[in-house]
Formats: sequence, C-alpha cells, structure tokens
Amino acid sequence: MTKPVIEAKGLTVTYQIGKGLLGAKSQLNAVDNVSVTIEKGSFFGLVGESGSGKTTLGRALLHAAPITGGEVTYQDDEVTYDLRNIGKGELKDYRKRAQLIFQDPYAALSPRMTVRDIVAEPLEVMGLTKSRAETDDRVREMAAKCRLNLEHLRRFPHAFSGGQRQRISIARALVSGPRFIVADESVAALDVSIQADVLNLLKAIQADMGISFLFISHDLSVVAHVCDHVAVMYLGQLVETAPTRDLFKRPRHPYTSALMSAIPSLDPDDTGEAEKLEGEIPSPTNPPPGCKFSTRCRFAREACSASTPPLREMAPDHFVACHFAEEFDFTRDIAPATEDA
Amino acid sequence: MSVPLISVENLTIRFKTDEGLITAVDNVSFDIQPGEILGLVGESGSGKSVTAKALMRLNGGNTVYDPASRITLNVPGEAPIDVLGLKRERDMRAVRGGAISMIFQEPMASFAPAISVGDQMVEQLMLHSDMSKKAAADLSIEMLDRVGIPDPDKRFNQYAFEFSGGMRQRAMIAMALSTKPKLLIADEPTTALDVTIQAQVIDLMKDLVGEFGMGILFITHDLGVIAQTADRVAVMYLGRHVETGSVRQVIRDPFHPYTRGLIDALPKLSDLDNPLTPIPGDIPSPLNRPKGCVFHTRCSVAIGGRCDRVVPEFVQPGEGHDVACHLAADQLMQGAAE
Repeated sequence: MTKPVIEAKGLTVTYQIGKGLLGAKSQLNAVDNVSVTIEKGSFFGLVGESGSGKTTLGRALLHAAPITGGEVTYQDDEVTYDLRNIGKGELKDYRKRAQLIFQDPYAALSPRMTVRDIVAEPLEVMGLTKSRAETDDRVREMAAKCRLNLEHLRRFPHAFSGGQRQRISIARALVSGPRFIVADESVAALDVSIQADVLNLLKAIQADMGISFLFISHDLSVVAHVCDHVAVMYLGQLVETAPTRDLFKRPRHPYTSALMSAIPSLDPDDTGEAEKLEGEIPSPTNPPPGCKFSTRCRFAREACSASTPPLREMAPDHFVACHFAEEFDFTRDIAPATEDA
Repeated sequence: MSVPLISVENLTIRFKTDEGLITAVDNVSFDIQPGEILGLVGESGSGKSVTAKALMRLNGGNTVYDPASRITLNVPGEAPIDVLGLKRERDMRAVRGGAISMIFQEPMASFAPAISVGDQMVEQLMLHSDMSKKAAADLSIEMLDRVGIPDPDKRFNQYAFEFSGGMRQRAMIAMALSTKPKLLIADEPTTALDVTIQAQVIDLMKDLVGEFGMGILFITHDLGVIAQTADRVAVMYLGRHVETGSVRQVIRDPFHPYTRGLIDALPKLSDLDNPLTPIPGDIPSPLNRPKGCVFHTRCSVAIGGRCDRVVPEFVQPGEGHDVACHLAADQLMQGAAE
C-alpha cells in the first residue's frame, strides 16, 4: 500500500466577511469539513458548479488559501509536511513539490517574456539550477515533454494558439519537478478538438512521471474520461466520492445524478428532461440548514433540512452524503464496458 | 417554399491588417427561416462570430465585404433590406436591435456596470419603439418574469453585479427579446454557464422560439448543445462552411472528416473506454490559409495532390445535406455507380 500524497481530514476554509450588527462578523465557509485522500500517482477529479468551493479546496491543498480547520498532510518519498503548521523554509520547499496549472492560458503567461523565460522562471526564482546551461537543459527537456520545439522557445506567447499556450503553462508547472499538481479547469477555455490533446498530454505526464493530479472541472464528461477517482462538491461539502467508473455507472447522490443528466446529449432525441435542476446554488453566506442540497433536491423531505447527512460508505470506496441514498437507483448505461477495476 | 427571414449569399469578409488582407469568411451562404434555429459550429478562429456580426454590420472599420456578398433581411410585411448596402448609421438602427437582437457569451461584459439592469432595458426599448417610459418599464418587468427571474420588480432596479451568472444571461435574453426581434443571434450564450444552468437556458430559448416564432442563429463550439437546440447545423472551418444539414444528418451521419473529428474529440459519458481522439495540429493562421481544401493540413484522410490543390465543391449525400469534401464526393460517386 503506497502512502497518499495528500491526506485532508476535516479541512475547513473560512473567510470573515463584512460586519454584522453590533460588530459581529459573519462567516463564509468556502470549504466545510472536507476529507479527501489523493493516492500517489492518481488522477483525482473534483467536480461541482461554480460557487461549490472546488477552487478554494484546490488552493488550500497548495497552501494558497487559509486553512482554518482540520488537518492536511502532504507526503512523498522524501518529506512529510503538515500544511496547516508549515514553516517558512518548508513552505518554500513545498512550492517546488506542488504546482498549479491555471484555467486561462491567455491570462497566465506574461506577454513580455519569451516562452523560454516563462518556463525557466520557476527554476531561477527557486534557485534550482546552478548555471544557465543547466537551466536551458531543463527547459528543453520539459518543452520536449510538452511537444514544444526549440523554435517555439524563442517566441512570445502571442504567437501561440490556446492549446499551445496551455502546453507552455504545463511545461512551466513541470519544470520544478513537482510531485503533486492542481489543474484548475485547465481545459475549460479550449476548443474540444484541442481539449482532447491537452488531456492526453496530462495523462501521459501522470503515467511517465508518476505525478499525482487534482483535476478540478465543472465538466463531468471530461472528468469521466481522465480521472480514476472523483469527488463531487456542493456548497463547500463533499456529497459523493467514488472510483470514476462506479460513480458514473451508479451515482448515488441525487445531485450527482442531476449533474450527469444536465450534460447536453449528442442525441437530438434524448433531452434528459426528467432530472433537470431548478434554480441555482444558494449563497454560501446563508446556506440552508441540514442537507445543503435539500432546497433543489426533487426527493427532499422534512428530515433533509433537519440534520446534515454524513458521508457514508455505500459500496467499497464509494461514499455518499444523503439520508436516503439507499432508496435511489440512478444506474446509467455507460459503454458496453467490461468490468475492470 | 416560404421566404427566408434572412438570406446570406456568397458572404466573403476580409480584414485589413498591418500584415496584409486577412480572409475571415470565405464564400459562405445560408438561409434562416422564421422559427428555425440554425446552429453554427466551429473552433475559435473559424469565423463564426465574424459571420454573425456581419448580419448586423458590427464588424470593425477595417472590414472589407466582397462586392459579390449579399445579406437580405426579409421582415414579413416589409420591404426586404439589403444589409450590406446600408450606408448611414441611422438606417442601421432598423437592423441593430430592431429586427435583429444579439446575446453575447459574457453577460457581465454586456451590461453597463453603473446603470441598473432595468434602466438599460428601458433605454433600448425607447430607442427602438415609441413606447412611453412607463410602458417600457412594464414590458421589461414582464419580460424578466417570462425568462424566469424571481422577484422581477426588485431585480429591475438592481445592477448586473447583483445577479448570478445564470440570472445575468436570462436578463440578457429578456432584454434582447423585449424589442420583439425577428432574428436572434446567440453567440456562445451558454459557454460561461454551469451545465445545470446551461440546461435551463437552452430550455428557455427553445420555449421562446416556439412562442415568438423568431429565427435564431446559435453559435457554439459545443456539438452537444447544438444537438439539443438546433434544427439545422452549419459546421465552419477557417471561414468556410464544410458541412451543413439537419441536426440529425450532421450529428448522426457526418460526412466531412472535420465534423467527424469534432464528434470524436468530444468526451462522452456513454463511452469511457476509448481514449479521446484530438484533431491533430492547430487551426492554421488566417494569414496563410491552406490552398485547396482548407482542412487538408489536419485531415487524416487527405488525398495528396488533390485536397491540397483543388477546392472541393459541395456534394449532397442527402436532401438538404451539403458536404465540401473530395473524399465524400468519391464515396457518393461510387455509391451511385454500384
């Protein structure tokens, strides 16, 4: 059994917002008591609507959002860090080991730096290489991995298309030799034809270099294709986590099932009418009591707003936070798939 | 055959730039009937938005329309308007926001941040009709209600930043429809939205077409969205239509390798076993458009010596289904010979 790269227990990120009456501050729990385990070398998917706290969770795992409760442990072959109480020196080292790939490749790259300088910058800032020759070697190696040629390295980002830019961002994230990468909506801004190419590249990197990914996306079909484990988030909490195939074959939370049926089908005659979600995600400053999904759930009843459902293991490694999950059968047809675990 | 609402013939659009004349749209023709949704699909850089903007003459000052291009707007009961022939800004007002309305991808960028949503809706209504301010306000509130915004009276006085993403897009739609346009241009209207909200907006748009009987030009890069909304589809690549037909013809039975590539690249929940197949390479720069078939540089089945030299003509694999591909033409010839 390999040790997980990231282990979070009861992770909470709370922001203080404004001032209420009598100076009492109100609080916003962007991430609320979330426990996740990301195994070494896995491609862990995190899905949910905007405002569900996916990005905040990703940032907290990188120590880029304030962890206000719970524990997060990072572990690789060399070091173990307690991210909540990490020291300055350790944090500097952690930055090499954990990296982020952003959503918008147009905004993430400085227009005034050449591709070579963009990719080399982390090495120089972190002091990872001793000479310019060594830096150039590293840059070329990463560029080759991301299918950028030497000619590309001399140019500026404006000369590249969205897919190529995203490959540059990936090369930049890889250059410090990270063991864990958070990819936040990394293909959302790309055309479908290019999206598949970038996804395949990320998968190849994961396989070749043994890097663990947290892949944040709102697109369930993308997640279904690349991830091996998926967590579904709603208003700061996990509502369901499972191995990908189990989750997509038999989602057990009404929210997961509704999300899946909202994906527009390629079949013009299949409108998926039955399960459409009404309304929008409630404001996290004023979350509903009990099960947070109860205001939009078509199966909601009194017990749902009375108490918060805990995550329960309904099948091996398949956790669901719903009081009545036993009653539902959302089994879907996926593929003439053979049962491979 | 009824008169099409808008008819675009041989539309060719070039832009004057420092690097020379760029062809953005190359000899494109299509019609939209009243009550019909035409989906326009393609990657970024394929010329979708430029085509749509041409219908309202919204392209910038460096635009050159080819003399052979013709866009005719037929509002029932009125004389046909030659859109490209309009000279004065004053005349264009009949087209912009009058007969044609547009909704954009990013609704936050489309509302003025410092003017309330209601005032913006009233302003455009008063520009395009002789309504009183009171009547315009009443109609605006009614439209907000129609698109499913709760508390329309209260929302009317709020600003765009107080709306959520889905709500802003609904308000945008309400605003676009309040002038009762004959044609609605929707440029990636659901791309910035969550899937759940996207499903709601798609349903809303379909309901409204039924109710108002207008035509819609629906631009998107998502074939799934097209499958759920459009009646007919035009697939666009580097300024050209490569395949057009009914949504069932194009999505179930695609003939052009590019259309097939787009469908294969789409991750599908119904098939998790096969790896995703990207279309190799990137869309070429419009500065050096490939000769012959524009797609041949990325096509896996291109015929050397032919696809890179000769521009393919449209062939018809079925009634109302047009494909511009040499290979499809050969297949059809063979099929006919057998």
